[in-house]
Order: sequence, then structure tokens, then C-alpha cells
Amino acid sequence: MPSPTPRPGDPAVVLRPSSRPRAGAPTVLKVVIAGGFGAGKTTAVGAVSEITPLSTEEYLTEASADVDSLAGVEAKQTTTVAFDFGRLNLPDAPVPLELFLFGTPGQDRFVDLWYDLCRGAVGAVVLVDTRRLESSFTPVGFFEDIGLPFVVAVNQFDGAHRYHPEEVRTALELPASVPVITCDARDPNHVAGVLLTLVGHALKSASASPARPASTTTFQDA
Amino acid sequence: MTAHGSAAEDSTFVRTYTLTRGRTRPRHLLGLDTVLDAGPGRPGPGQAEECAEILALCREHRRSVTELAGRLGRPVTVVKILISDLLDADALVVPVTAYAASDAHARPSAQLLAALSAGLKRKWPDAIAYPQAG
Repeated sequence: MPSPTPRPGDPAVVLRPSSRPRAGAPTVLKVVIAGGFGAGKTTAVGAVSEITPLSTEEYLTEASADVDSLAGVEAKQTTTVAFDFGRLNLPDAPVPLELFLFGTPGQDRFVDLWYDLCRGAVGAVVLVDTRRLESSFTPVGFFEDIGLPFVVAVNQFDGAHRYHPEEVRTALELPASVPVITCDARDPNHVAGVLLTLVGHALKSASASPARPASTTTFQDA
Repeated sequence: MTAHGSAAEDSTFVRTYTLTRGRTRPRHLLGLDTVLDAGPGRPGPGQAEECAEILALCREHRRSVTELAGRLGRPVTVVKILISDLLDADALVVPVTAYAASDAHARPSAQLLAALSAGLKRKWPDAIAYPQAG
């Protein structure tokens, strides 16, 4: 598992937030939506986003070095990874909020980038296409490892066999505490329902283990 | 990929890095999700056209690194390098209100989560939160 510490040669300047907030600016919260290629991430982000989902490319070099074979390495110094981004304003919330949605691919070579996205996130949605269930194992394992609350949403594709959520839970070896739900990623009400389920789950996890961050530092120095 | 196609890809790659004057790493530790707001400073002379675009976008609305890269149609690393220049010039700032939890392990507070839940319900009254298992 790659370490979240900056790699050698990384930026010299660590960013500190400026003390100049724009007056009345909403608090930003973020949710990560992970799923394999074609699982419906862009569709889900687009269903609730106020902006057309933006696709962004990042070049990956080091992260893919031990994954790709050396053959043809000169032609493949960079791998591109596509992200989806969407956002929505919630001005009617008790506190003005803005929600950022980050759609990210599910392969383990992107784990470094997930650390980035998951820092301070509300939680994650693992979007599952039951025809490619195996692509969900990596994100599920990752979110479990870092202790980020997540829900599993089974995207109901036309023509795909409809599995019961409990069958998906068993296949992904998920504990009973992780919500597994079905959704139509095209339907804003469904996607909003998935987000609500995630927020409810995050609230429950927060109250179940309020001292979780501290628990990682309780080991005594030998 | 044909030889022609890959040559075309290489030339795009080179053009992209002339924007950053050959630099391949940003000076600031920026996340994909780092939020940027327009600041009081002015960018230095000789900045890429894209810097003006970034500033115009951030004056309209706070934007994340990912959103800026998506709008400019440029790779994230390139956009991060340009953003670093603008941060150095104070033309961009990172608003303190963004991400209530900026600590690596910290999560948004229960109050914020409850507010998010209420906000989502108001926006989509027909959305159903599924009953919690376990």
C-alpha cells in the first residue's frame, strides 16, 4: 500500500489555507464516487450536479511503473486517468453548503490519488456494475482500510441481471453495517437517495467512533 | 495506436509543457480537490493565457483544481503548475472555509453532516434514504 507522504521531489511549498474567506462563502463538503469503467460514475455525478460533469485528465507516471510491463515503456511514460467532477449548491441547508462530487476510476493503481480525494471527505459511494463486480473489490478494500464511511450502490443497468443487494453484499464480503442499495444512476432522486444514505451512514459512524482518528495514535512507543 | 497517432499525441504533450515552461512539478502541494478563490494580487508578467482563464473562472466562483483542469481541457499537473504561479503572486488564495476538515483523518462534524442531510432533503424531497442496515 503506497504511503500518503509526499514522494521525494514533491513540491517544496506546503499550502496553508489563506485567512481570507470570501464573505458568506458556503462550506465545501465532498463525496467520492468510485467505480469501474462504465459503472455509471459520470451519469451519477451528472444526475445531481449543477454543472455538466467535467472530465479531467491526470498523467500518472510513477504509480503505474510497477504495473505496466517494461515492453514499450518509452512510448508509455505516462498513463492518463480520467476524473469526473460535479458540484451542487445547498443554499437552503441550515448552514450554506456546497457539495463537490469526485468520480474516480476503481483500479488500484490510482490509490495514491484516492488518498488526496478522501482527505476530509464525507464518505464514498462505490458504484457497482454487477456485470463487472470484481472491479469493486479495490475501492471497497481501500475505503475499509482508511476508515472512510462508504455505501455500495448497485447501478441497475437495462438488460443486466438484477441481483438482490444482499447477494452483492455477500459477493463483496461486506459487513452488515455497510449499506448496500440499488439505484438508477440516471435518476436524480435515486442518486440523491444514495447521497442521503451515505450521509446517514457517515453520521452513524461518526457517533459510533467519535475518537477514531485518535485511536490510530494510541500505540505506545516501545 | 498507429505511428501517426502516437506522434500526434507526443506533440500535444510537448505543447502542453511549453505552457509551464518545461516545469513538470507544481511548487505547491495541491490536491485534486483543493479549492481556489481569486485573491488580491496580480499575476506576474509573461504568464500563459491559461492563467488569465483560471483567474476569470475563480473570480466567478470558487473552483477545485479538478474543475479548473476540466474547464481548461488541460492535464491536472499542468494546471497545478499554473495555479502555483498564481498562488505565489497572491492572485489566487485557498479559502479557509473550504473543507471544514482539512486534517488527514478528520471528517466533517456531525452538525455539518446533519446540515448536508437536511439540505439534500430540501433539494430532492422525493429522494429516499434507504433504511440503515445493522
